[in-house]
Amino acid sequence: MSRIGVFVCHCGENISRTVDVEKVAAEAARLPGVSYACDYKYMCSDPGQSLLKKAVAEHGLDGVVVAACSPRMHEKTFRSAAKSAGLNPFLCEMANIREHCSWVHEDREEATAKASDIVAMMVARVKKDKRLVPITVPVTKRALVIGGGIAGIQAALDIADAGHQVVLVEREPSIGGHMAQLSETFPTLDCSQCIMTPRMVDAANHPNITLHTYSEIESVDGYIGNFQITVRKKARSVIEERCTGCGICSAKCPQKKIPNSFDKNLGLRPAIYVPFPQAVPNTPVIDRANCTYFRSGKCGVCQKVCGPGAIDYGQEDSLIVEPVGAIVVATGFELYSISEKPKGSPIKGYGEFGHGTIPDVIDGLTFERLASASGPTGGKILRPSDGKEPKQVVFVQCVGSRAREKGISYCSKICCMYTAKHTMLYRHKVHDGQAYVFFMDARTPGKNYDEFWRRAVEEEEAVYIRGMVSRLYQKGDKVVVMGSDIAVGLQVEIEADLVVLATAVQPRTGADTLAQKLGISYDRYNFYSEAHAKLKPVECATAGIYLAGACQGPKDIPDTVSQASAAAAKVMTLFAKSELEREPIVAKVNERTCVACLYCRKVCPYGAVEEKELRDRQGNLIRVVAYVNPGVCGGCGTCQATCPSKSVELDGYTDEQIMAMIESL
Amino acid sequence: MNNSAQTQSIDPALYATATEAIRAEAKRVLEAGTVAAVVGWQAGRRKGSALPAIVTDPTKADTLVFSPACVNNLALYLTKAKKEIRQKGRLAIVVKGCDLRALVGLMGENQLKREELHIIGVVCPGVQGRGEATMAAKCRECAVHTPEGTDVTVGSLPDLPRFTPVESEELARLEAMTPAERWAFWKEHFARCIRCYACRQLCPFCYCEQCLCDRNRPQAVETTPRPAGNMAWHIVRAMHLAGRCAGCAECERACPMDIPLNLLNRKMAKELKELYGHEAGFEVQEKGPLAQYREDDDQSFIK
Repeated sequence: MSRIGVFVCHCGENISRTVDVEKVAAEAARLPGVSYACDYKYMCSDPGQSLLKKAVAEHGLDGVVVAACSPRMHEKTFRSAAKSAGLNPFLCEMANIREHCSWVHEDREEATAKASDIVAMMVARVKKDKRLVPITVPVTKRALVIGGGIAGIQAALDIADAGHQVVLVEREPSIGGHMAQLSETFPTLDCSQCIMTPRMVDAANHPNITLHTYSEIESVDGYIGNFQITVRKKARSVIEERCTGCGICSAKCPQKKIPNSFDKNLGLRPAIYVPFPQAVPNTPVIDRANCTYFRSGKCGVCQKVCGPGAIDYGQEDSLIVEPVGAIVVATGFELYSISEKPKGSPIKGYGEFGHGTIPDVIDGLTFERLASASGPTGGKILRPSDGKEPKQVVFVQCVGSRAREKGISYCSKICCMYTAKHTMLYRHKVHDGQAYVFFMDARTPGKNYDEFWRRAVEEEEAVYIRGMVSRLYQKGDKVVVMGSDIAVGLQVEIEADLVVLATAVQPRTGADTLAQKLGISYDRYNFYSEAHAKLKPVECATAGIYLAGACQGPKDIPDTVSQASAAAAKVMTLFAKSELEREPIVAKVNERTCVACLYCRKVCPYGAVEEKELRDRQGNLIRVVAYVNPGVCGGCGTCQATCPSKSVELDGYTDEQIMAMIESL
Repeated sequence: MNNSAQTQSIDPALYATATEAIRAEAKRVLEAGTVAAVVGWQAGRRKGSALPAIVTDPTKADTLVFSPACVNNLALYLTKAKKEIRQKGRLAIVVKGCDLRALVGLMGENQLKREELHIIGVVCPGVQGRGEATMAAKCRECAVHTPEGTDVTVGSLPDLPRFTPVESEELARLEAMTPAERWAFWKEHFARCIRCYACRQLCPFCYCEQCLCDRNRPQAVETTPRPAGNMAWHIVRAMHLAGRCAGCAECERACPMDIPLNLLNRKMAKELKELYGHEAGFEVQEKGPLAQYREDDDQSFIK
């Protein structure tokens, strides 16, 4: 006979307001196998926990049910209390009579009856609980960071500085990301390149960091502590070890008229190029689509001029397998484009702004390149159409963002600040120019942020017009901006020389594909989802994978760096032990009845199911069965529901327990 | 009975030619040693009958036959339930189009490997149903007379008369019922079930070592032949076959209580086709529609 203890919590008044807790405890005491039942105001408090511990000792309890809140809230609390009382922690279960009962019902009598039923079910379940032991899995103390922007670089440097190996994978030929493209940064107006490039060099030179640029994640296998990452190193056509970065190949390349995407296509670059002068690594890459040699087989100039013989036209993509224990995802963002979207896309473009066909309508990042000293105009603000200096510039905020009818309802967070910055940069470079800003409201929470915005308005004389822009069109060499000024209730028309749109921050194209490879969840916009909005903001729901930067949601540089360091700290916490403890709520296969139809493998969202060969002592194959890797199993129970012969069961949720729970009603 | 629904209307010479070809192929593969045994049919003791046969000796290849009496789905003999046959080594198997669909299904469920089988397909004009001269219901609407993707295919297809589509008519009659009538219909049929499990024993897809319905700790399905347990058993059977059953109708043939089991199977198959465009047994599928979630899955059943 079991000796179960039942502890009914009032949760202040959260439960006792609608549930007669004394009655629930009294009824629980009458259940077969229950040898002690009581109620208490706050079970989770120190006296509450002591009550539990004392009762375990005094009444010799061999199982505990705490009828209180959701197990997500306090299961850990009570399990550790049970453990310190000498009980196996998995013999402690929670009956959720708060979220599942008192919070959702009004009738006291009925709620009390339901609470008693919930308690009875959990008593039935705890009686059949097994003593489980946490699973230990070894940890490979090596981290993968995906994305070499400021988030990825920060996370990689932090982890590397702690003494762990880091593999940093970047899709582009150089690390640096968006921050390398910026001119000056808010709220201090310090030069982005000046603070970014040293970090890039630090990352490249760090003895603990292995850098794979121009590379992508091919596949991800394994689980927390034991991932196997296959990295596709795209063919650079340049042997990295031999290249000295002298740049003669780029200088001599006859193909020089290719728009440089780093400069938002405003500048030109050769077919063999480094994206920008401060690129890390300073190793060029051949753009095979535009290279004369690859297109016609003639040319080969770069090969002829390259002293160390680093050019290799025959280079192919290579696959590298990297074993790692943790992954930081820092894939960043891209800007929304106002161009026409494919049919059926939930996100719409801006036909009223010309769908991106008006040359002097640019986005914020293009303006950054114009304002950047290393940009295509050498830091002069010159408009794309005719290279003239614009005297009237209109900035439009919330393009794409906060526009539900366009498909995006979130705020892109950084645009208010960078537009204020743009008006200042413009003012500093074109003293007689006038900046206008169409805005809904200025969102400037952050240290010194509102002061910065006020400075743009009050000292730098940017004219802020509260209202939306309804249309942009070309008229002669001007762009007419039609908008409204809701402060005075008038329609406004401005003939601008240049229009800068603060377009929405979106996740990278292909963010969903990467998420599927990693097995992490993402929202409807493809931003990666954190495990808990408040308490686990850098962890993914998938163990061992952490998020940093704008891939999780729009973020400015300080927030991105903070999150990257937080993710690094999480990785270091994981690496602090050489073995990892996991909750043993995992599926187990009954090898006697399993027939290896492997429907479990088909439905497993964690990829935890493998084939296992059963052999006799002579090594002859008897048969094949399914095997659930406890290190990978997430304990969801989908396999258990699917298995036709019920040969796989989740510890703590066995069919026997579920049936006992149903029968207890 | 529609006069055209007779197996006698088909030229017996067709079956004779197929028989010769099966024998020749069986002899060839057994002699060459590429297979250890051939699973096929041989003549039964009663004239005009046939039964499953396992031939390991090339000289006995001549005992194999193909006739309208070759009703059995031989795929059953390759499942785990028949371990001793699998242990013989690489096997050849004679299959009709409908049987092949079961083989393909089993390959998708990790039970068979294509490279471990030598498949002798036989073009089948139809086999007999209840009563020797009657064409089986499933054959009247057969769409797989000629098996595809076999190692060899023997026999040829005559011009077949149009048969009365008994299965479709029954299905239409079932679908015309109200839910209450349908429930009553099945309740009436299942009430007769004596739980002999002949349907389970003959089904190529019931290959579990221990059936869920035989478990007693905890017991999921009552084992005594009483209406509630019968209903539970038949629902479990139908649900476990949904998306897998290829319609060989062996369950219905074996049922001593004349429960229209294949009607239920066909209804499930039709649902799967309408909801997910899925038809069992035509290609080895990595995942069936019921083992995966797709965003464009039909959600209309959620009410």
